[in-house]
Amino acid sequence: MDKPSSLGFGLGLRPVYYQEILEKKPRVDWFEVISENYMTPGGRPLAILERIRADYPIVMHGVSLSLASTDPLDLGYLRALKRLADRFQPEWISDHLCWTGVHGVNLHDLLPIPYTFEALAHVVERIKRIQDFLGRRIAIENVSSYVAFAESEMNEWSFIREMAERSDCWLLLDVNNVFVSGFNHDFDEAEFIDAIPVERVVQFHLAGHTEHVTHKIDTHDQPICEKVWSLYERACRRFGRISTMIERDDNFPAFEELLAELDRARSIAAFAILTMEEVAA
Amino acid sequence: MTLSELQARFQAGILENDGKILASIADPRKTDRTTSFAVYYDAYRIRLAEFLSNDFPMLRSYLRSDAFGRLVGDYILSAPSRQRNARWYGARLPEFMQRAARWRTKTAAIDLARFERALSNAFDAADAPIISVDALSDICVEDWPRIAFEFHPSVELLDLARGTAEVFGSLANENEPPAIQHGEEAIVFWREVGQSSYRLVAEDERLALMEARQGKKFSDICALLSFQATDQDAAPVVAGFLSQWFSDGLVTRFSLED
Repeated sequence: MDKPSSLGFGLGLRPVYYQEILEKKPRVDWFEVISENYMTPGGRPLAILERIRADYPIVMHGVSLSLASTDPLDLGYLRALKRLADRFQPEWISDHLCWTGVHGVNLHDLLPIPYTFEALAHVVERIKRIQDFLGRRIAIENVSSYVAFAESEMNEWSFIREMAERSDCWLLLDVNNVFVSGFNHDFDEAEFIDAIPVERVVQFHLAGHTEHVTHKIDTHDQPICEKVWSLYERACRRFGRISTMIERDDNFPAFEELLAELDRARSIAAFAILTMEEVAA
Repeated sequence: MTLSELQARFQAGILENDGKILASIADPRKTDRTTSFAVYYDAYRIRLAEFLSNDFPMLRSYLRSDAFGRLVGDYILSAPSRQRNARWYGARLPEFMQRAARWRTKTAAIDLARFERALSNAFDAADAPIISVDALSDICVEDWPRIAFEFHPSVELLDLARGTAEVFGSLANENEPPAIQHGEEAIVFWREVGQSSYRLVAEDERLALMEARQGKKFSDICALLSFQATDQDAAPVVAGFLSQWFSDGLVTRFSLED
């Protein structure tokens, strides 16, 4: 399997940091861009992405594919996604294991699915069609969820493993989402991580979340918490050198703070991989 | 229950507060099903409100939080989003305000919404190379009547309540906005070096710009303006407008028409 090699350590490209990135060309190995933010007829975001792409590799990350929706696939969206990929040549394209609406409605959220055999067959078939259309494998991300369904016939990690194998897609492992969903649904996060097939994972997401008494919400507006760092270390030991990026979408800190978090990810990954290699030796 | 049925129920739970979906939700460990599902119900409204606040910041200032909150609530209730891209969710807000009983008499607010929407449209409009007025230097004098122009995709001309631009400017500078006046003002919107721009245009320029955007020749535009004001030669006036349009970066192409 021609799994892409690690891009190193990246950040989400957000407008609030455009100027800083253009002026200082910071020590970030790559950027992840939200595909929909650049699906415009023209204008400044596209012009800026052209300039940043000249200096950095990028990955395109979507939020509107609505992979698991029972609505028909939106070919208009897929065509726009392909045009954008043709123009900016991302290392890969990713989206989420979720749906965003049915009956033509978009609820602008990453909605959870029941882990049923019917849903599995549905998602696998759609991933195959999307990959055929785009002419490339896509990476699918596990989401944070706040409800679980009584209809589920398997756990989330079994569903993801089967989905990846049957559809021959890549996986984007969001470590924070594993942690948030693990808390909300009372599962063992380590069991989740350990069940994901090593050869499928091309990218990690790291992010902060918001704590409530009864649940956690994936808000991307806080620093990464210690427990997520620990889970990341475990993931690094299992999966090895994997492209890692930090998502920040609100309560934006100074860019240096994100760079410091990225340095911490570098250190954790380096140590974990060294340990893994020593054990292997 | 099929996946399709479950998704329809889940969506009805978010849009219509329909409780049928709760039967499909597994009992959470630390809370109850209603509270868990409310994360999605609330997030939908919060997220759409954020989109509108980002797209209409001056309208939000103008109406102040309570009234803007009512507007957002009315709009969200009126119809769910059918846009893949959140950037277009607020596109119908001005038209909604023109129709809705609570808002349709609030001309200042409606036109401020139209103003901000025009700025957003200009920001995202398609790219096209603009040309300098120097490009006209090779055109001989006798061909000038035959020149027609094409405009940048971001160019939009709106007739809004008189004083709308001043209301926007005051709010942008965090000053108390003036009241709008009777009558209308014409405003041209476009994108300049990646940023949305606007300026007021007087009646003669408005007419000339409308004609020019329809592809009318220089001589036709002059003829229209001469008809409007018979006491002066229109050609220098239209040439002055042209010079300004080139300088603003509105013109992408010209051609000689028969």
